[in-house]
Amino acid sequence: MLRFLTGRLFSMVVTIWAVSFVAFAIIQLPPGDYLTTYLATISAQGERADPRAIEALRQQYGLGQPYLVQYWKWITGIVLHGDFGRSFEWNAPVTELIWGRLGNSILLEGLAVVVMWFVALPIGVYAAVRKYSLGDYLATIFGFLGLAVPNFLFALVLMYLGYVWFGTTLGGLFSPEFENARWSLPRIWDFFSHAWAPIVVLATAGTAQLIRIMRANLLDELKKPYVTTARSKGLPEWKVILKYPVRVALNPLVSTIGWLLPTLVSSSVIVSVVMNLPTAGPMLLRSLTSQDMYLAGAIIMLLGVLTVIGTLISDLILAWIDPRIRYGGN
Amino acid sequence: MMKQGLRSGPRAGHLVTATFAAILGLGTSALAQEYSQAPMLDDLVASGELPPVEERLPANPLVVEPVESVGQYGGTWRSGLRGGGDNAWIGRTIAYDGLVRYDRNWDQIIPNIAESWEVSDDARSYTFELREGLKWNNGEPFTTEDIAFAIELMQDEAYPGSAGFIDNPQNPVSIEIEDENTFTLVFEQPNGTVLDELASVNGITIVSLNKNYCGQFYPKYNPDAEALATEMGFEGWALLMENKCAWAIEQERWANPDLPMMNAWMLTEPLTGDATRVVFERNPYYFKVDPEGNQYPYIDRLEMRVSESLEELTLMALNGEIDFQDRHIATTINRPLFFDGQEQGDYRLGSNVLSNSNTLLIQLNFNHVDEAKRELFQNKDFRIGLSHAIDRQEIIDVVFTGQGEPFQVAPRPESPFYDEELAKQYTEYDPELAAEYLEKAGLVRNGEFYTMPDGSPLTITIDTIAAFRAEWVDMLELIQLQLAAAGINVEINTIDRTLFYDKRPLGEYDAQVWQGDGGLDVIQEPRYYFPANGESVWAFRWQAWYNGTTPEVAEEPVDWAKEQMDLYTQLRQEGDPEARAALMKQILAITKEQFPVIGVSMPGPGYYIAKNNLRNVADNMLHGWLFPTPAPYDPFQWYFEQ
Repeated sequence: MLRFLTGRLFSMVVTIWAVSFVAFAIIQLPPGDYLTTYLATISAQGERADPRAIEALRQQYGLGQPYLVQYWKWITGIVLHGDFGRSFEWNAPVTELIWGRLGNSILLEGLAVVVMWFVALPIGVYAAVRKYSLGDYLATIFGFLGLAVPNFLFALVLMYLGYVWFGTTLGGLFSPEFENARWSLPRIWDFFSHAWAPIVVLATAGTAQLIRIMRANLLDELKKPYVTTARSKGLPEWKVILKYPVRVALNPLVSTIGWLLPTLVSSSVIVSVVMNLPTAGPMLLRSLTSQDMYLAGAIIMLLGVLTVIGTLISDLILAWIDPRIRYGGN
Repeated sequence: MMKQGLRSGPRAGHLVTATFAAILGLGTSALAQEYSQAPMLDDLVASGELPPVEERLPANPLVVEPVESVGQYGGTWRSGLRGGGDNAWIGRTIAYDGLVRYDRNWDQIIPNIAESWEVSDDARSYTFELREGLKWNNGEPFTTEDIAFAIELMQDEAYPGSAGFIDNPQNPVSIEIEDENTFTLVFEQPNGTVLDELASVNGITIVSLNKNYCGQFYPKYNPDAEALATEMGFEGWALLMENKCAWAIEQERWANPDLPMMNAWMLTEPLTGDATRVVFERNPYYFKVDPEGNQYPYIDRLEMRVSESLEELTLMALNGEIDFQDRHIATTINRPLFFDGQEQGDYRLGSNVLSNSNTLLIQLNFNHVDEAKRELFQNKDFRIGLSHAIDRQEIIDVVFTGQGEPFQVAPRPESPFYDEELAKQYTEYDPELAAEYLEKAGLVRNGEFYTMPDGSPLTITIDTIAAFRAEWVDMLELIQLQLAAAGINVEINTIDRTLFYDKRPLGEYDAQVWQGDGGLDVIQEPRYYFPANGESVWAFRWQAWYNGTTPEVAEEPVDWAKEQMDLYTQLRQEGDPEARAALMKQILAITKEQFPVIGVSMPGPGYYIAKNNLRNVADNMLHGWLFPTPAPYDPFQWYFEQ
């Protein structure tokens, strides 16, 4: 087990390094740099930037340096000082900017995952056990609808209905008076009164997918002899299903836990923009379009790190719930 | 010396007449009287945290006549910022308090922080008199020292800040301080446009740097500045200065609540990377009062929601959660929606006159690196042919639901420079005339498309950025069809904005599009009338020659362009407004003769949204950037009717 862990940890470091290198390279691929983008943006607003100021800033920011030099400065800063560089756009250390956003992402998307699992797993089990029943067909229909409707469209429809029916604006995570308040009961209530909409939207597509996976996995398992054996021994039906085949059917779901976070962050970018959620997605999008490279690089790299850690965790959980994997290695 | 109490120059002329003519009370009419303040300040004064209002106001506060009536104190003005980088809305709402200002008709320059000024006859020295006893929002006196500091910093080679005339190498300026309220700007050459610059949105640099606060980051006034910067994690004092006082890049100015300001509201919740809202509260030291002696502003707070989502901002406006806004949400597409929602949202629509003269203009590259194309694009007959081949009315009907009219790149009808011939020449859709001109330009029609005179195929690639104006792509697709019908093969090249800019010095692009800046601000923004600055993409290398920027690509212009440049140089040195206007007219006459840039249509009227209980808002507003609407309409005198 120790060898398993050290091997894993070593390859994790290499993967993270590769992620950082590629991420940094991709951010630099588009023509121009942050200052060109800045120039274009303010000029679109009717302003005019002084070319002399821009040139002087380019010098100061070191934007003219070759890729490897910039990368080296950045990566050594991270490794040695935990310094992810400065965001040009905000003129603030990246570390000051991202934690709050990432926290919101993890909270919101974590809740979406919980909702997703709570809704999807029972329905998936039901659909598999009562195959081709009316309930199964209904679950299938709604599942595919959820899968087919783009998230952002669903969000827009919800927002429009909120305006037409209730005269409220669905957007953001807090009312203005709670925006910067400390956590308290009223603030939690305020959070949920805003967060339900994005959670529902984010959970929908995933739910549909999960129902289908659960149903298919379970159907495979239900036919297996051990189920028949359990049944013949006189176990109650619910125990037969939940104790054995469901546990096995969960296997593929658990093994993909590590991908959940990056998938949710990237799939929720447009929803977050449309609903104005202060999560990492819009910040990533914005930093990429404005070529704010250290900020974008830091977010991509942290997502990479979270993915890698998530994969490790899912490996460990998998070993825990599935004896075949636990003992398979030896 | 000629006394220039008020007048400066004809600009947007007698626009938006009647409703508020003769509204501007002058500082001099303020009599010593009892002043009163907003109730929210009473407690602070009673507890001794703030001095009484008489001591906070200058000896001679600026008295501003309200648009409709004297108002009531209180309330929060809610609006929205699009994403974090949207500092322009802050600039347009609160940050327009320079030495001088434009009046509400955009045709005169009026006193603001400066009480009066004098210009020498040779237009080389400008003496300003500040109001006595002005204070920053932290209560410190505002003096000529602060102005000298701003100039010193901007002129420092080591600081990347740059601010127009202050560090213009072609006409260096220095400051002479007489006493704490009187100073003189002395230019090497005559400078006739400096008052315009000071009155525009760019004029606030000079009054935005508090010497006490910002001086602590400057090695000259604080020997430890460099060490301080290092300690705080900055590479050099300049970057720390930028971070705290921010005059190189504007974003950060709103990220630092400690930076003293002179505006009606002061920053309390800053615009940082993870802010979800930005909040301003009244500045208790603001130097303006209404005719009854009530200190402005009437409105207590400003609250700006930071939203990445245009949809959310639109819904907020529909739901009555925005008190005043035009930026971002007042689009052509949204107009019917907002019109229908007026009752439910309890707001009204007011009208904006946009300063743009054009929805889209096509700038053929006069300095193309390909000789044949360069010659063709410089050929006026070719451009006239293209212009006649465009069916502008169809574009207006399809893209702008009939709003607007066919228009070239020209001053708008509201401008004193309006010239109908310049605005309308070659705008009629006439395929036969188009063909005649194209053949006159030497093109040969071989089957479907025209070719170059030597028979090689001709394709014009037009660069555009879809991200800025969604309607550009719609318009260009129609233009592509229309020109194809006339025998000209056009390709639309949608690219990213950075590439759009990076291509300019290279000279390989056929054409780029933009909107028609300079419809009202004709003198200040002449980029499409002659090769004036880096935004004159149609003659990028000629403007480089004129401005001395990017000398590696500069090229000597043709004679007519050089003549325009000479005229503009004279204009910049001319002190007399009438003479300046006459020079500008000469420049425009050459523009009319040469017809360098092809326009499509004049934008229809713009609009803004204001809650029904928000009063003193002008019904019609001129909308520019140098004239940063709505700030010149004095939001400090807006109030909520209770």
